[in-house]
Amino acid sequence: MPKPMADTVKIDGVSNSSARSSRHSLRKRISRNWELYLLIAPAFLYFLIFHYGPMYGIQIAFKNFMPARGITESPWVGFDHFIRFFNSYYFWDLIRNTLTISLYQLIVGFPLPILLALAFNEIKNGWFKRTVQTVTYAPHFISVVVMAGIIVTFLSPSTGIIINIIEWLGFTAPNFLTDPAWFKTMYVLSGVWQSTGWGTIIYLAALSAVDPQLHEAAIMDGASRWRRIIHINIPTIIPTITILLILNVGSILGVGFEKILLLQNPLNMSSSDVIDTFVYRTGLLNVQYSFSTAVGLFNSVINAILLIAVNQIARKTSENSLW
Amino acid sequence: MTHSTSSRSQASKSGVTRFRAPKAAALVLSFVLGASLLAGCSDSAEPKAGSQESAAKVNKEGFPIVKEKVTLRMMGPDVGVQKWANMPAFQEMEKKSGISFQFDNPPLESFETKKNLTFASGEYPDIFYASSLTQADEVNYGSQGILLPLEGLIDNYAPNLKKILDENPEIRKSITTPDGHIYSLPVINQQSIWYRSPMWYNGEFLDALKIDHNKLPKTTEELYDLLVRFRDEDPNGNGKKDEIPLVSVKLDDIRSWLLGAWGIYGEDIYNDANGKVHFARTEDGYREFLTYMNRLWKENLLDHETFSQTPEQKKAKGANNQVGLFQDWHAYFTHGGEPTTNDPMFVPVKSDSVDKPAVAIHPGLSTGSFAITESNPAPEASIRWVDYMYSYEGAMLFDKGPEGLMYKTVNAEDHTKKWLPLPDKFNSREDYRGTLTPNYGTPAPTLLSPDLQKGLKEEFDVWVDKQNEEKILAYDPQPPFPILYLTPEEQAEISSLRSDMDTYVQQMEAKFVTGQEPLSGWDNYLATVKQMGSDRMIEIYQTAYDRWKSS
Amino acid sequence: MAAVIKESKADRIFLLFTYLFLAIALLCVLYPLVYIVSASISSPTYVNSGEMWLLPKGITFEGYQRVFENQAIWRGYANTILYTVVGTLVNLLVTIPAAYALSRSDFVGRGFFMGMFLVTMFFGGGLIPTYLLVKELGLINSMWALILPGAASVWNIIVARTFFQSTLPKELQEAAHIDGCTNLRLFWKIVIPLSSPIIAVMALFYGVGHWNSYFNALVYLNDEAKYPLQMVLRQILVLQEMNSSGIGTATSGETAMAMNARADVAALLKYAVIIISTLPIIAIYPFLQRYFVQGVMIGSVKG
Repeated sequence: MPKPMADTVKIDGVSNSSARSSRHSLRKRISRNWELYLLIAPAFLYFLIFHYGPMYGIQIAFKNFMPARGITESPWVGFDHFIRFFNSYYFWDLIRNTLTISLYQLIVGFPLPILLALAFNEIKNGWFKRTVQTVTYAPHFISVVVMAGIIVTFLSPSTGIIINIIEWLGFTAPNFLTDPAWFKTMYVLSGVWQSTGWGTIIYLAALSAVDPQLHEAAIMDGASRWRRIIHINIPTIIPTITILLILNVGSILGVGFEKILLLQNPLNMSSSDVIDTFVYRTGLLNVQYSFSTAVGLFNSVINAILLIAVNQIARKTSENSLW
Repeated sequence: MTHSTSSRSQASKSGVTRFRAPKAAALVLSFVLGASLLAGCSDSAEPKAGSQESAAKVNKEGFPIVKEKVTLRMMGPDVGVQKWANMPAFQEMEKKSGISFQFDNPPLESFETKKNLTFASGEYPDIFYASSLTQADEVNYGSQGILLPLEGLIDNYAPNLKKILDENPEIRKSITTPDGHIYSLPVINQQSIWYRSPMWYNGEFLDALKIDHNKLPKTTEELYDLLVRFRDEDPNGNGKKDEIPLVSVKLDDIRSWLLGAWGIYGEDIYNDANGKVHFARTEDGYREFLTYMNRLWKENLLDHETFSQTPEQKKAKGANNQVGLFQDWHAYFTHGGEPTTNDPMFVPVKSDSVDKPAVAIHPGLSTGSFAITESNPAPEASIRWVDYMYSYEGAMLFDKGPEGLMYKTVNAEDHTKKWLPLPDKFNSREDYRGTLTPNYGTPAPTLLSPDLQKGLKEEFDVWVDKQNEEKILAYDPQPPFPILYLTPEEQAEISSLRSDMDTYVQQMEAKFVTGQEPLSGWDNYLATVKQMGSDRMIEIYQTAYDRWKSS
Repeated sequence: MAAVIKESKADRIFLLFTYLFLAIALLCVLYPLVYIVSASISSPTYVNSGEMWLLPKGITFEGYQRVFENQAIWRGYANTILYTVVGTLVNLLVTIPAAYALSRSDFVGRGFFMGMFLVTMFFGGGLIPTYLLVKELGLINSMWALILPGAASVWNIIVARTFFQSTLPKELQEAAHIDGCTNLRLFWKIVIPLSSPIIAVMALFYGVGHWNSYFNALVYLNDEAKYPLQMVLRQILVLQEMNSSGIGTATSGETAMAMNARADVAALLKYAVIIISTLPIIAIYPFLQRYFVQGVMIGSVKG
């Protein structure tokens, strides 16, 4: 993989003639592919205008933002908001809960769509496949409010169907809704239920790129389905898996707050309170733009560091990485 | 402070340089997209008028308010029933006053977001109506000149409101910010009594146990005994032990009613008769409340789903005739069926540690419902317009719409009215009312006097009034804490103190009640809350209270 | 066919397990879905008390009736379809070319562009500066305020880029260059036709995003006639749910009564609204599925 930055650095260090030739080839490569700049131009402009344009807003993390004064005129407070966050009584609880929920979600929720997509890929196209695919995709569209409502109804200790089934089987059901030990499982599994089918889509698209000739040849050689999955299908989707994994690690501190908020109660709080719910609650007391922005910035920095780290690992150990 | 000034100038400098980038980018974008896309979207700003000039155009008394027709921009929350421009209340008022409006009505649920963006964008409506401006909004935007101070305008142009404020100095105190100005007008509700919706007994349970509705528990021990009977004696008569004596959702509904048994007026900050400010959650009485609730929990008298159920689930239990004592606006909302006078209101109970129970009452006031901004070309006319809402006629117009639609006056002298038949396409009078006026589910500036309802009360309403008399007003109730403003500094400090404290207090309450944390842990709890700054918080509120009192 | 003959016993067992796995997955997901459909036509009391657990009980169509009573809903549908179609087209026009360019290892500056895009995944100015920008551009209250600020997502660009990288053989591009084919022609005539799976996925991801979005509409639109479906539905729901938040400001027993009556319908509406708003987009999915099985072409190009 050529890296333009590295190329230009090298130019100064090496002998004149080779520098000239490399500069020459660089220019040649740029000019030969000038159309690629045309292709990327809309995206470049978009990010420049709509993302870099408003980015001056980050400074409110270091200010005491007052809407009427505007962003630039609000007074600076330095790292006050960050310090307040770090000094919070619950800081370490928040970090721990956020990380464990995220990791739990990643460990359980990440492989399942892959398995499901591989299974879909094995069976032939027909009503059964179409039905399962469409049905598993549907829960993605259930709004968070309704989802939380269903969870509470199903797990209600007095009338919940799941509790009834467990007790009918002769076990004593734990109180899923208030027991801190069960919160994360409840949260993650309901999330898996809701998003696994949706998550297969991207892998199904990647699997469609498998060369059928490879399969035909493998069948000729007597390779079993299992072996063909391992040696043909999985390698095809490995790049997608790697990239999605890296991106997921890069959002590890961002656990969505809406669903947690709806399932949270004072009894499971020790296990359910995450950074985003904390920010939401704090923001409610008083419109604290600056504090929310500061915590958001903290999240972003940690996420970015993690993403860079994971990407480095991926670069070293495979051919697939973000850059 | 030299430090802060230097950093501010730095701020504006960097702001300028950074702001150039998006502008350049905007140019590029408009070039790329073509001008057609950008056409027809620009807002027209109305010219600002000088104060004397605008004052000259307004009549000091009577209708019309303005000598020439004026159109103002009004922002207010939409509840999605009817466009404000089509509401008879506004149309009638326009005819009378000569003032018409151009409305900006974001949906109620997102009003807060839109309101903040409006302030941030620097383009304000002329008037905020039913806008629930927060106290912080008023203090901040008022001091920055975005909201106009209204006290001068009130003195000169708002005779109705001036009369109310002169007769009720505590209302004037409560709407005046620490800098001495009034930036918003309140909802004054003389009809409201309940600080929170009351608690009710299941009348069928009482009847099954042969309990006289006039001899309800008056002490915590009597209440306990009754709850035990609810639990054990199958009052719903279905042969199953499925009764839930006391039902609640996270205790928020019943807490303040029960706390009164230990002399505590509110569940958060409250003041006693001597003007001393207390934080309920660190009081001894609160510990006794927790002990009592823990006892109810242990003996299965308090619903074990208290901390996990939704309000809908609670209602379903009520509709199933499973609950004995519960909170709701009216009993039949939870108990199901038609309005009934058979479910009596909870009588305040007292413990041994006090002589009489503390009972809270609604302060009858909420602030932030009407404000005028600096962009308003006709502040005098605007205040005259809103002043009408504080008269009986104006309040009536915006409460029930113009006469002849919902109601008819029977006696103009004493304001007795009667209902007119409901048009067929509406399910209830309220559904109809929502199409007539913006004062429907929104905090609109007005004076809700008992006179508005004269002649319009049904038998059930009269019964509820009587329950209120006997079980709330007879107990010498007081509002837990007056409506008052904090300075921006106080506000900021309180917010930062509370962010952890509220969470901790809430969590520990649930643990104490359910027994996950034994009550022997109270001292530890107290120490932690104090460490989180509860004393400082009380101090700040005490300062604010004293300032309010002496103003 | 050779494949059929060679299906071994082990393979058949394996296939059996695959079907079993899918059948279990189907059941797990199906139950709550049936529950939602049943709940949307059952009396709310039964739903809340847990008595309705599979088949509808106390059947009522009031939820649907209330939603469709509202005239704004049809306009909402029309607006949403317009925003979704135009928005998705813009998304694809920005995303696919950028992803392709980034997938080319001989593209000088791709590290720079990649870095520039990635930064925005983590750092942004927040709502207010973005609002001011949109205002400055004169887009407030126009369809473009819903489309342009979200014209591309880094996540999707990266996913599409990965697809191009792993499916388009290098030889293809070399062959094209030798033939004197320009990059634009290569992109348009060869890359696009070969990439229908990823284009379908991107269209779905973006399309669903537009379909479900309401926040931008809430922030940037003032004119109710322009509200998308989700905004209209939220308005209906909120009106019903005023009970919980509004009761504090309920000024009379009458108001409280009306709000209480509505709260009962709110439970019904919640479920009906889900079905009304998602049926169209669920119905689209089976049609998109056929684009996921077009691996044949790449093989044929290679061969």
